[in-house]
Amino acid sequence: MKDIISIIFRLTLSCIVAGLIMGGTFIFTDRAKKANEHAREEKVMYSLLGHDEGGEDPESMAMHELFRYIVTDGEEQFIGYLLPLSTGFEFITIGLDGSFVSRVPVQLSETQVLESGERDTAIAAALGPTKTIRFADQTLVVTDDGERSAFLLSGKFPGYKTSIAIILALAPDFSIIGFEVMEHEEDPGLGADIERDFFRRQFENKSFESIKALRTIKEPLPQEYFDALEGRIAEEEAAAAIMEKYRLQDIYALTGATISTDAVVMGIKAMTKKFAYRIETLDAVLADQQIAASF
Amino acid sequence: MATDKNSLQLVTNGILQENPIFKLALSMCPAVGISTTVVNGLMLGIAVLFVQVFSSVTISLIKDFIHPRIRIPTYTLTIATWVTVIDLTLAAYFPAAYAQMGIFVKIIVAFAIITMRLEMFACKESVPASFWDGLGMGLGFLVGMVVIGFVRELLGSGAIFGYDVLGFKPLLFFILPSAGFFVVGLMMGFFNWIEASYAKRGKK
Repeated sequence: MKDIISIIFRLTLSCIVAGLIMGGTFIFTDRAKKANEHAREEKVMYSLLGHDEGGEDPESMAMHELFRYIVTDGEEQFIGYLLPLSTGFEFITIGLDGSFVSRVPVQLSETQVLESGERDTAIAAALGPTKTIRFADQTLVVTDDGERSAFLLSGKFPGYKTSIAIILALAPDFSIIGFEVMEHEEDPGLGADIERDFFRRQFENKSFESIKALRTIKEPLPQEYFDALEGRIAEEEAAAAIMEKYRLQDIYALTGATISTDAVVMGIKAMTKKFAYRIETLDAVLADQQIAASF
Repeated sequence: MATDKNSLQLVTNGILQENPIFKLALSMCPAVGISTTVVNGLMLGIAVLFVQVFSSVTISLIKDFIHPRIRIPTYTLTIATWVTVIDLTLAAYFPAAYAQMGIFVKIIVAFAIITMRLEMFACKESVPASFWDGLGMGLGFLVGMVVIGFVRELLGSGAIFGYDVLGFKPLLFFILPSAGFFVVGLMMGFFNWIEASYAKRGKK
């Protein structure tokens, strides 16, 4: 009996001390980690859009955050979007079948909208007490001179071991501009090659039609294509010609990591298809209701 | 019971006489899974080195407090704590290194070599001795990983440190996990053979 009490006491105390150490480190490092992630995200977004570090953003370019929410009213579910309008923010609720339900103005400033807590409270206040909202995802719509030039969406899908998080850049016609892997735990030397240029760049410029039918092929990557993907071909024209030759080709599986390859192919395919469907539904509603969003 | 070895002997003991990979054959699964290239081996080695030293010192410090019946859970808890601390610190302050080492740090919790060193050494010895023993074991693991990584990268990818040196890939099989056992086995035999012939010559 004495033993048991002693064991319980010592184990509990060890756990508490360990917990305090881990928690302390977390509190201490969390801010720096978040700042790092945010900085990396921003850098990735700019490089996906084609203006690398050092280059100034063109004046005509603007970014608009589009937040998607799941709205529940009793038994019924709706999809809600927080839209930036020229006059302020507005929350549009759409039924699951794509029909317009309601629009309400939301009192938020440009900086408040980026804080998830303040944003949620403001939307909840605007919708009234019967409806509950749950944040789903956010998309950046990039405009150039008022015309849409790209969508930036972040997504997560299951990989070989844990989930793979990416940022995907789509053109207005939903063809792929590019993507970048933000987080993954695939095997080094095998699945981890999803980060490398020769794999990532195979997705570039694929049209929406070919993404819908995209699959993995288990064939060795042709050497000239590999060189072009890795940017090892000096003459731009020759490289562009090779890229064009394989543009509609399916994705070559990574050697020894077909599952990781499939995961990325399927993940990107699903992300693109879902996003295209959602934005088309939203656009139809916006046109129907004559709502002028700022993108 | 105190060890009769001095600090230098404790460190070399971990690298040579009791090398975790070639002599103790511990932590083989993660070791063969990761050691596909020199850089991967090095990264995992560094991560293990830190966790081993921190955990050895911690256990040695609190050895009188640990109840003998629950020592193994306590070891695991200690290792997990240090792994988490190192993981969070790296992610926050060394993002470039973390991008390379992140996945290695997390898998260390399950490393037999660290638990075994805590059980065999740190829970009986003084703090400085445990520090040197942890350092030696960590270095021994690191050296082993780099050597295996070198062989596997050269034979599997035809490269060293990521640079293509052979221009072709002799045996892709070598970067798959199962090949790690072949390499470890062959090298173990090689080291034993050297040791045996050295001992024979000493006798004559």
